[in-house]
Amino acid sequence: MNREELAKYLLDKFSDKIEPLETGKAEPFFLLKKPEDLVEFCRTVRDDATLRMDFLCMMCGVDTGENFEVVYSLASIKNRLRFDFKFPLPYDKAEIDSVQEVWAGANWFERETWELYGINIRNHDSLKRFLLPDNWDQGFPMRKNWDAPDFKRMPEV
Amino acid sequence: MGIIKKLPVYLEKIPGGGIVTTSLDSIFSYSQASSLWYLLFGTACCAIELMATGASRYDFDRLGMIFRASPRQSDLIIAAGTITKKMGPRLRLLYDQMAEPRYVIAMGGCTVGGGPFYYDSYAVEKGIDHIVPVDVYIPGCPPRPESLLEGCLTLQKKVKTLKIQDWS
Repeated sequence: MNREELAKYLLDKFSDKIEPLETGKAEPFFLLKKPEDLVEFCRTVRDDATLRMDFLCMMCGVDTGENFEVVYSLASIKNRLRFDFKFPLPYDKAEIDSVQEVWAGANWFERETWELYGINIRNHDSLKRFLLPDNWDQGFPMRKNWDAPDFKRMPEV
Repeated sequence: MGIIKKLPVYLEKIPGGGIVTTSLDSIFSYSQASSLWYLLFGTACCAIELMATGASRYDFDRLGMIFRASPRQSDLIIAAGTITKKMGPRLRLLYDQMAEPRYVIAMGGCTVGGGPFYYDSYAVEKGIDHIVPVDVYIPGCPPRPESLLEGCLTLQKKVKTLKIQDWS
């Protein structure tokens, strides 16, 4: 299955859940319409016999300056497929469901997203400090509006 | 350390004892400067240049600089590479574990003042002089082996001027 066939297959099967995003990237990229569908969508693409997305390559948060986004990058090692999807999250309701039960490897990615962006993860089994120092008390450093006493922004040139 | 530090105090009361202490000073400082053993402490790309300096082409050994894997046996930390805020306390711990007299060389832009991580970084310490006292700063990203050799020769010059009484 090549790129176009994969994109068509996904759009046919999940026409009510996702819509395509044009990025020029090598992999198809989709927008998940409703964040509530996340776990169900992930489980379906993992268990679908044609897809078998058995590997979560990466999952991370993004702060665009207007809202958060959460990006997932999936791969099928068995069927040699790749595709990505993302969905926006408002600042005041930054909370997502854990996909740990679908891919156990999501655990560390979600801890990282939680501690760097302050996006809360529901149903996560060990939400504690991951990359930052253990005594860190300065908030969420990857947010656009983050500041600290010795932190300097790159001046505009 | 106690006996050696008190030695000049007693000797200088004896007529002609000053000659003994000044000769001891030069012997001690010469031996120290000629065998500055450094701690293996490479945290980023500067460590590659440090390895190149230690290898046969630049031959660090001819200055008496030999790497040690334990802070108990070293006289010098060459902080080669980015020190993050998480690594800072570890650097301090290693420094505290070294026997005196002890020296620190800050190698590369990151350890001198944050370097390429000066702006937009929440994780990198902006200069290791916030953590440990630094004797010689070597700028560069990373500095070439020649710069490191020059820095070590500068440190040797500094060590040779020290007296027994200066030891802390």
